[in-house]
Amino acid sequence: MLPARFDWAGLLGRFGLVLALIALIVALSLQSDRFLTYSNIINILRQISINAIIACGMTMVIIGRGIDLSVGSLLAFTGVVGASIAVAGVSPWLAVAGALGLGLLLGVWNGAFVAYAGIAPFVVTLAGLTMYRGGALAYTDGRPISGMPELIQYLGSGNFIGLPVPIWIMLGFLLLSHFILRHTSLGRAIYAIGGNEEAARLSGLAVRRVKLFTYAYCGLGAALAAMVLTGRLNSAQPSAGVMFELDAIAAVVVGGTSLFGGRGGVFGTLVGALIIGVINNGMNILDVPSFYQQIVKGGVILTALVIERLVAMRR
Amino acid sequence: MALLTMRGIEKSFGSFRALKGVDFDLADGEVHALVGENGAGKSTLMKVLSGVLRPDGGAITVQDRPVTLNGVAGARDCGIVMVYQELALVPSLTVAENLFLGDLHGVVRYGPLRRRAAQLMADIGLDIDPRREVGVLSIGEQQLVEIAGALARQGRILVLDEPTAALSAAETDRLFALIERVRREGVGVVYISHRLEEVFRIADRVTVLRDGELVGTRSVPELAPGDVVRMMVGRDVRQYQRARQEDGAGVLGTFRFSADGLEAHEIELRRGEIVGLAGVVGSGRSRVAETLFGLDGTGAWNDQPIRSPREAIRRGIMLVPADRKTQGLVLELAIRNNLSLATLARISRLGVLDFRLEEAQARGWIERLSVRPPEPAKPAVELSGGNQQKIVIGKALAIEPKVLLLDEPTRGVDVGARAEIYDVIAELSAEGIGVLLSSSDTEELIGLADRILVFREGRVTAELAAPFRNEELVAHVTGAL
Repeated sequence: MLPARFDWAGLLGRFGLVLALIALIVALSLQSDRFLTYSNIINILRQISINAIIACGMTMVIIGRGIDLSVGSLLAFTGVVGASIAVAGVSPWLAVAGALGLGLLLGVWNGAFVAYAGIAPFVVTLAGLTMYRGGALAYTDGRPISGMPELIQYLGSGNFIGLPVPIWIMLGFLLLSHFILRHTSLGRAIYAIGGNEEAARLSGLAVRRVKLFTYAYCGLGAALAAMVLTGRLNSAQPSAGVMFELDAIAAVVVGGTSLFGGRGGVFGTLVGALIIGVINNGMNILDVPSFYQQIVKGGVILTALVIERLVAMRR
Repeated sequence: MALLTMRGIEKSFGSFRALKGVDFDLADGEVHALVGENGAGKSTLMKVLSGVLRPDGGAITVQDRPVTLNGVAGARDCGIVMVYQELALVPSLTVAENLFLGDLHGVVRYGPLRRRAAQLMADIGLDIDPRREVGVLSIGEQQLVEIAGALARQGRILVLDEPTAALSAAETDRLFALIERVRREGVGVVYISHRLEEVFRIADRVTVLRDGELVGTRSVPELAPGDVVRMMVGRDVRQYQRARQEDGAGVLGTFRFSADGLEAHEIELRRGEIVGLAGVVGSGRSRVAETLFGLDGTGAWNDQPIRSPREAIRRGIMLVPADRKTQGLVLELAIRNNLSLATLARISRLGVLDFRLEEAQARGWIERLSVRPPEPAKPAVELSGGNQQKIVIGKALAIEPKVLLLDEPTRGVDVGARAEIYDVIAELSAEGIGVLLSSSDTEELIGLADRILVFREGRVTAELAAPFRNEELVAHVTGAL
């Protein structure tokens, strides 16, 4: 019998992401002693929380072999609508509920066109990207809404048991997403549909309803992120969230979820968001000019995918 | 002068010898039919000829020069062109662009291109406007264009694989007229078909393969259809035979179906009965199961229509589809997750999955169906074809069906797994489940079915009762009778 060879490819495939994150952290710690401090770590986590919340919903959509380009605009629209309810003096809870409800509704709108009209998700959500941005601008006449009540400020800047509230919200939404994906029949259906839609249909799964759910959930996540952002800034901007969809997609794919569906998970997405967040933070600390930061960020995303491809080919 | 000779062609896949020293040749202007049952080696032989597969042994000459066919391009250089069942045209381009796709360089001048295409079409007597988009043509017209394209590339040897499977009678006539025309120019045609009537209509000679061996090559005028059937079927039919039970188990239900191009018919299914559906590709045979699963036309079970797979499953009707990779399995999911895919509600409470129950049920199915390796966590993609098929069957049985629709349940399955699958089907019947078994393998139908409906051109043309004779069944299926 041949001696068992150490399975580098298998190991890299499973833990490569985490290893890459650790390598990044070690490298940056060596470069600057301002990097690996408690306050900076918390800072990074808070900075990635909005992207990570959006990316959780995006992960679900992508595992079901879809894509949602509308999340950035949806964030802006739900943010200003929530903020307007909040400043109107009614209960701030109602403001949060209104924003989340609108997020859900807009997600259902996206999902209905994808699942029931059979239009390509890229196109449907590209239309959403434009429409929801227009909705936000029209609703506010292009002006920000400022002066949030305490509850909403708390969502963005409060502390709870020693940690910023956005981090708690991120962790909570992450766990909820993980539970749905891995522990419910609905989540199993999402993987099955992303892996082989025809087989899922012939197994009697409610393919359309499940697809609709993923977009609705993604819309809900973006609205939740909108409330966190509004609280953080104490203001809702109709121009908020530009390009957020691309940051979220980057976190998802760097996190190992396949754009072809059927594979991946939200913990990978968290690691993906962390990698991107650590790079951003590290480059700020090292005073890399922001124009170059974008080049580096794009390069990292490409590198992660090339490595993943190479590992997949060896297996 | 021989246009083509193939001598002692050998090809194995693993330990399976697909071609055992097969000879084949073709003369200028000859139409040479290649026939045999599924798995006889026809496609493998033609893949060797078209450069897709490299033979393990044997020699090939084209126009008396020995050649080694390196890939499809190499075969094309020797003038060998294959027209597949799945067409290889670009639907969004025009006929003219498709015809000369390989010769378009730099800036394309459409005027001359169209004139060349029109000239070519006129030469071979086709009245298809070269400016039309290929995607809007009928399948038959696309096939004619593809043949024209082969001639445009100076093809000397044309291989047609089941060219009439999707064609209407009128389109078939046009195709045959084109074949007549090209043969007069000296092109040799290899014609693969299950339809013997066509073979007798168009071919000069016929070569029969069986289990990877050459049975014989005969001149068509010396033959009767029955002779060819005998050559295809052979004498030594060592075959599976299910022990049939006594009749009188009672009626399970009535299944009515109809669809565009499929004549309405009614099947009364008895408890534990296996009804075989026979017919060549395109005969409508495989669409029958789809109507009862809500995928095609209209199917009704006990007078209530079935509109979707969900509805079918709710009423205890389950399909095991023909193509396990594209229709049956989610390949990246584990064995246990594929087994539970149609029964997620049964292994969950309030939508939350019970992994232990899922695992236990998976182990049960793995044991009952002898899935190897018996590892519930293994991704389905890593299993052999036979074991994958067992998973698809297990998933279907998990819903505890009253009626099971099996479409090509053993296609591409090795001999061992095939016998195990047959045993399972026989057990199901003994438990009272009604089975519709659609298959292109006549021996499979004979071994399992209580009665067999034969489909031709979208109609039930015969109903045979046990005991069956393979020769008779093949004759019905191929249209020799």
